[in-house]
Amino acid sequence: MTVEDVKRTDDGPALMLANEAVVRGALEADVKVVAFYPGSPTSEILDTFGEVLDHFGDYRMEISANEKVALETAAGASMAGQRSFVSMKSVGMNVASDSMFSIGYTGLNAGCVCLIADDPYAHSSQSEQDGRYFGEAAYVPMIEPATAQEAKDMTKWAFEVSERHKTLVIMRTTTRVNHQRGMVNLGKLDRTPFKKNKWADVKGEYFTVGAIARALKAKILERTKKVRKEFEKTKFNFIDEGEGDTGIITAGVCYLHSKEAMNNLNMELPVLKIGTLFPLPEQKIGEFIKPLKRLIIVEELTPYLETRITALAKDINPDLEIIGKRSGHFSEMLEYNVPIVEKVLASVFETKPSLDYDAILERAEKLKADLPERSPIFCPGCPHRGTLWAFREALRKLKIRDDIVYNNDIGCYSMAFLPPNNFSDSMLAMGASLGVSAGMALSLEDKVIAMVGDSTLYHAALPGIVNLIHHNANVTLFVLDNSVTAMTGQQFNPNSPYDAGRSPARKIDMEKLFEGLGADKITVIDPYQTRDSVKPIMEAIEAEGLSVIIARRDCALYGDREKKRAGEKIIPSENDKETCRGIYACVKEFYCPAIVVDESDHKMMIVQDLCDGCLECRQVCPVDAPYHVGGA
Amino acid sequence: MEGTYNIMFCGVGGQGLMLLSSILGKAATDSGIKVMTGEQHGLSQRQGSIYVHFRMGNPISPLIPYGKADLMIAMEASEALRYIEYLKDDGIIIMSNRVMPSVAETREVALDKDEKTKYYTIEEIEEKLRQVTDKIILLDSLELATKAGNPKTENSVLIGAVTACDDFPIPADEVKESVLELVPPKTVKANTKAFELGQEAGGDCLG
Repeated sequence: MTVEDVKRTDDGPALMLANEAVVRGALEADVKVVAFYPGSPTSEILDTFGEVLDHFGDYRMEISANEKVALETAAGASMAGQRSFVSMKSVGMNVASDSMFSIGYTGLNAGCVCLIADDPYAHSSQSEQDGRYFGEAAYVPMIEPATAQEAKDMTKWAFEVSERHKTLVIMRTTTRVNHQRGMVNLGKLDRTPFKKNKWADVKGEYFTVGAIARALKAKILERTKKVRKEFEKTKFNFIDEGEGDTGIITAGVCYLHSKEAMNNLNMELPVLKIGTLFPLPEQKIGEFIKPLKRLIIVEELTPYLETRITALAKDINPDLEIIGKRSGHFSEMLEYNVPIVEKVLASVFETKPSLDYDAILERAEKLKADLPERSPIFCPGCPHRGTLWAFREALRKLKIRDDIVYNNDIGCYSMAFLPPNNFSDSMLAMGASLGVSAGMALSLEDKVIAMVGDSTLYHAALPGIVNLIHHNANVTLFVLDNSVTAMTGQQFNPNSPYDAGRSPARKIDMEKLFEGLGADKITVIDPYQTRDSVKPIMEAIEAEGLSVIIARRDCALYGDREKKRAGEKIIPSENDKETCRGIYACVKEFYCPAIVVDESDHKMMIVQDLCDGCLECRQVCPVDAPYHVGGA
Repeated sequence: MEGTYNIMFCGVGGQGLMLLSSILGKAATDSGIKVMTGEQHGLSQRQGSIYVHFRMGNPISPLIPYGKADLMIAMEASEALRYIEYLKDDGIIIMSNRVMPSVAETREVALDKDEKTKYYTIEEIEEKLRQVTDKIILLDSLELATKAGNPKTENSVLIGAVTACDDFPIPADEVKESVLELVPPKTVKANTKAFELGQEAGGDCLG
């Protein structure tokens, strides 16, 4: 498997996920400190570093409370003379950027690289945020790979650039790069033992304010000039020679889509592939566009390259026709693929794409017209299903379903907006439910409910909670404590007794935390005791002040793995059809994918290989029909 | 190998699609064939729709263009239809006959008092797929896996069937070796049998 390839000491070829190639690149650069908060599409970087941590034993790793802390950890290590690496998803940089902008000013010491991954199409993010502006806005060099090979090579190179210019370097990726597997020629692995430094030996000054900030600003403008000069010459900005007076400028995965599209059309246009987003290689771009009549710019999301290249063309080649987003050929929406690029190329050259893609899509849409959708859903055995059912029951009994406002947060439980729950009046960003609740508590007559998971609690919810308590706000807060950061792959967090690679860590005592802050009421429920949870939830909702409901039960996927580790079996449940009266509470109110209808007798049936044996469905059933085979 | 051979893997989260893709990735690499994939990771919930674009030879983009997959391997039948735009006309589909209903569908079936609303059937799916290709290897993968001695060897059944396709670029022995190397050691015997049963069944389907 590919983790084995990450460990290899030779320099042969390997088939690797780009996220694994990034890890390999950092290891080849002899990285010494790594820190992360998980987030798709970067989580496998964290997971891979965790998996090989013991094997190497010569770097230090932390799963941080949030991305800002992770970036600061890497920065602190760099100041202390240790090469460091950090990665996060697009919106993670929003959290980290406060420190990132200052780091842009202060600079750093040992090589420090930060990967940020944008998610065009918002596969698993709250927006199609374009993170390319961070580099320019903070004067921090930013690079972008297209393949697994480049992901490895550019990570390694980024450490050198960072150290040479004493600055953070950001590597920007997109989902289709992170989750691309390809052949990678490994470099040699020369690891050195981990050794703590003495501050006196490495010391520098890392503060910025007022007059110091103004002096630093002048310095970073000089630094940017030097980096630009280096970037003009790097092999990661390169030209593929071609024919004609129409050229393409592109970057990242769009380079690959463009090359394949040209291949399909038997076209060979000259292509400038950009590897450095900031500073852009302006001279190289100028030389490339000077002889052209037409330029096609292929980039997803905003016209970042297009805007800057259009400005350059004004002086260098004012008659250049630019085909991109402003011309209406490409969209700022969604992610691109070969057909999208091929269709634009074909239209520009007044020819036809290699296949009638529109007809293929149209036929497929017709064939799929009746195909039932498969929306994301809580896993079988998920405790959130029980918590949300009990919450709905509590609202029904209190007769206040229409007198509440529900502020959702980021995690698996975000899916509470889907049927059968249909909750979610707001959902913005990690921890945002608390701040939004403060505003709503000031403004609405209704009962204000907020919901966070344990990882989100420690990530960004704490200031919001302190704020609510301080202002005596009347809010009910659910904390869904499932032990891990579930959605991104069950990583450990401050709520776990473990850190990366299952090394020991201290678990924060959640009840003590809320007691210490002065929460007005703390209620703990077990979502698997679903029925018994209704009354405590009702009481908690009726309480004045900040009332906290901790719903505690392991994430089913994590719990199953822990059971397996302990040699325990997962016993699926069955439906006792003699008892079952076809009430379908388990179907209507519960939406468990292990529950189906047996078409022979129209009674509920539990799919054995999907069932997790949680028996939450028995709790929901008015006649207790589901049971565990062999009692219990 | 010359040119590019594209496989669209699809299924439902939790079925082991990533392992299947790793097995073929290893087999191809060991045979000296270049591989590139576009994978769907991300939200880790079970029972969602998932896919892997698996490309061999000289692909450039990680994503297969619509209508250019030579082969589709579906671990769940309705997922074959969900990604049908990727299959070329007359491409091969190797699919399990298992249909895993979505909760929304179960709700509709359950709440129809007249019991007229039925689940989407494998026959309906097959009829639609046949409008794109007749080369369909429909396998009762669970039954074959159970026959092999372990119901969890469905993946090996499907992958065995792959080697029955004439123009499949990786030699059958390499694929088998890679399967046995990557499955848990205790299950090697059942997986060997499952692979062989899949190979036979695949050969029968394609005639």
